[in-house]
Amino acid sequence: MKDFDFEVLVVGSGAGGSMAAYELTKAGHKVLMLEAGRDYDPKTETPMFKRNGEAPLMGAGTIDKDFGYYDATVDGGWNVPNEPYTAADGSEFLWWRARMLGGRTNHWGRYSLRFSEHDFKGKSRDGLGADWPFDYEDIAPWYDKTEALVGVCGTNTGLDDMPPSSDGILQPPPKPRITELLIAAAAKKLGIPLAPMHRAVLTRPLDNRAACFYATPCGHGCSIGAAFQTTTSLIPMAKATGNLQVITDAMVKSVDTDENGKVTGVSYVDKKTSTVHQLKAKVVILAASACESARLLLNSKSARFPQGLANSSGQVGKNLMDSTGANIGALVPALQGRPIYNEDGHTANHLFIPWWGHKAQERKELDFPRGYHFEIGGRFSEPNSGIAGYVQGYGPDLKRQVKQNYGAYIGFALRGEMVPNEHCYMDIDPEVKDKWGIPVARFHWKWSEHELNQVAHGLKTAKAIFAEMGADVGELPTPEQAILKGGEIIHEVGTTRMGASPKDSVTNQWGQSWDCPNLFVMDGGVFASNPHKNCTLTIMTLAMRNSSWLSAQLKQGAI
Amino acid sequence: MAKDQINNAVDQQQIQYKSGMTRRDSLKLMMALAASTLLPAVLTGCDSAPVSKTDTGAEAAKTTSEHWPELKLSPITATGYGKDPNLILPPASPWPLTLTQAQLTLVAVLADILVPREGAVPSASEVHVPAVVDEWVSAPYERQQQDRVTILSALAWIDDEAQMRFSKTFVALTKVQQKAIMDDIAFDTAETPAQFKRIASAFGRFRSLVLAAFFCTPEGTKDIGYVGNVPIGGDYPGPTKEAYAHLDKVLADLGLTEYAYPIQT
Ligand SMILES: Cc1cc2nc3c(=O)[nH]c(=O)nc-3n(C[C@H](O)[C@H](O)[C@H](O)COP(=O)(O)OP(=O)(O)OC[C@H]3O[C@@H](n4cnc5c(N)ncnc54)[C@H](O)[C@@H]3O)c2cc1C
Ligand code: SF4
Repeated sequence: MKDFDFEVLVVGSGAGGSMAAYELTKAGHKVLMLEAGRDYDPKTETPMFKRNGEAPLMGAGTIDKDFGYYDATVDGGWNVPNEPYTAADGSEFLWWRARMLGGRTNHWGRYSLRFSEHDFKGKSRDGLGADWPFDYEDIAPWYDKTEALVGVCGTNTGLDDMPPSSDGILQPPPKPRITELLIAAAAKKLGIPLAPMHRAVLTRPLDNRAACFYATPCGHGCSIGAAFQTTTSLIPMAKATGNLQVITDAMVKSVDTDENGKVTGVSYVDKKTSTVHQLKAKVVILAASACESARLLLNSKSARFPQGLANSSGQVGKNLMDSTGANIGALVPALQGRPIYNEDGHTANHLFIPWWGHKAQERKELDFPRGYHFEIGGRFSEPNSGIAGYVQGYGPDLKRQVKQNYGAYIGFALRGEMVPNEHCYMDIDPEVKDKWGIPVARFHWKWSEHELNQVAHGLKTAKAIFAEMGADVGELPTPEQAILKGGEIIHEVGTTRMGASPKDSVTNQWGQSWDCPNLFVMDGGVFASNPHKNCTLTIMTLAMRNSSWLSAQLKQGAI
Repeated sequence: MAKDQINNAVDQQQIQYKSGMTRRDSLKLMMALAASTLLPAVLTGCDSAPVSKTDTGAEAAKTTSEHWPELKLSPITATGYGKDPNLILPPASPWPLTLTQAQLTLVAVLADILVPREGAVPSASEVHVPAVVDEWVSAPYERQQQDRVTILSALAWIDDEAQMRFSKTFVALTKVQQKAIMDDIAFDTAETPAQFKRIASAFGRFRSLVLAAFFCTPEGTKDIGYVGNVPIGGDYPGPTKEAYAHLDKVLADLGLTEYAYPIQT
């Protein structure tokens, strides 16, 4: 990139990195983006309409394609060839990585819920974890801007767990499905509301992107741009300013500093040639995903920063959080043999169950401090390798059973807030290195009672809702059995958390590292807590807000 | 009896399930099979020979204690399709298929017992379910390798049982004899006799795979009634009148009417 005189270097092209690049290039800054994965073009590579029956193994997930053959993740998943990670004795953690332009935005679920004032100030309320260094009011306008730019469908519900967007920001949500309407009635009888899910899916056209046509699994990717991914929106938009250049297959191995501790640029491996290159930059933004950015910092040791870069607080790698997860489901007899119609919709939740227990928690009626929500599933979906369900016998009656049960299974997926604890963190494995000689991340993990009690509550609640629907989920597992593994919900955050003081945090509220003013983190690493609401909308909102601040600093010559 | 034997002898030669093609050639193959007079006759089971009552092997079954084939399967070492297959071109499963001709034929016969032709809806083997089963049990991935052991053991068990009861392979049995064995193993419930528990569970896995492979074909997907994967212009229309009416009834039956979620139609 000798002929491109860039000012800011962004590492990673996922949600955080692309939003940073978009905001900065729009403000006139030249940005160079480095992406470890390959170039990826959704226009020509997206298998939108492909059917399971066409795929090997009916599209079933394998170690090569964890979420199914046609899932948009390429060169990624729980395992990335040549890039191992380890877990400490007694720990288990699953680390999902995408290695492609656009990162995980090419295939994420697109659930996009705002955090509330409540979520930003958990510690003030119950003394656990950490508060964020700003208030909801500070970030609300940025949520508006992000939602309007990204394109989010949903409605303002007035529920205390779902802060409203300004008028005209949200696109209309699609009509609910029969399964969702039945769950809504059953839950309401128990005092639990359902609400339209907020999803980064266009139900109205926006700029060059088309509205959803309600037909194809969004996990395949969306070449028409209706389901948000940076490869069909932010990256092309940033490129159109003429201020963005991207180098793919560029694996950054360290952030380089001078003797004053100022960041000078990065070193990266060109994966195609296995050669190492250095790039100089005025500002470096890490947005390689929470644990990858932390790994980079911990690997960037120098005489001045012997514990790793930006780590004078000792907090890099600490405070690792994921969402809690648990699944519970049953056949609902009342739905057997129901009238069939096209139930694809935008292929994910139209309605979901937001957290309804803030008041009960305030009154100390619950034995866990933080909330959860249920994402719900169950519709006439395209047959896959699991279509048969539990059936018996053979012959015409067998097929009749499967058809009877079609569209009658309902599943709940719990997603809950985890409180950070001292047993959950990542560091650098002292022995193992990846193919490029870069020391790998090592994970330490243990759920606490907070999460287990929360999951136990969720299982009981789900059972009660199923009972109202006339369905029996059977004997409940223990929370220890039910809770999914650390990392399995793929909402890992917190490893470079922001805070009000350099003593106990890695960055300030702008994602600017306390130790090096020209080093920023703009991925989920900066989260001070991990509310049950999926993290990506907030990653993007912070990246937009903080890049805007950075731009002002650059223009004032403050950095 | 003699006639029966002759029929079976003829069957033995005729019901060679065609292998070596992937189901992605399915249209071509289906037409070829439809044109062939060999396969459909057997797979739809025109077995008209009279069979005596004792010939169902009920006696033999009672005396059979549990048996289980201990297969020595060499692990599949082929590579998978990798992390970055071309998703636009018609996909290929790079691993070699491993079922023998005899196993494929047995799979075809069993698959058609599970999913027979019904009117215009083809049977499992007519839409190449055995090819999918072959691809599945031959795949180098963990779950499929576990299924490989389960399913190949079930296939071996079924032939062993056929030999013990009737001194023939399963494929060579009459429909009635086949049904006798099916009735013992195709129901995995609390009442399943101890000697059939293991095979009933293994057969259950096979059944799920056959059903999935069937319903994932265009014909099967149509048969189950899936009407999606079609682009819709404008807003998502939501449930039909009929579907709402059914929901109303369900809510009433469950005593939930007063809690109904407001619907904007
Ligand atoms: C199946 C699935 C469903 C999900 N559903 C939801 C959902 O519904 N809602 C939600 O909010 N979140 C969801 N998530 C999580 C969401 O995808 C992530 O939170 C989000 O994408 C994180 O953004 P990021 O920019 O930090 O990282 P990523 O999107 O992972 O991007 C990081 C990029 O940096 C690159 N990179 C990494 N290391 C280096 C390096 N050393 N040098 C150069 N480049 C590097 C990577 O290759 C990658 O492209 C889901 C995730 C998955 C996998
Ligand atoms: S359902 Fe809609 S948003 Fe999702 S991939 Fe299809 S067109 Fe895109």
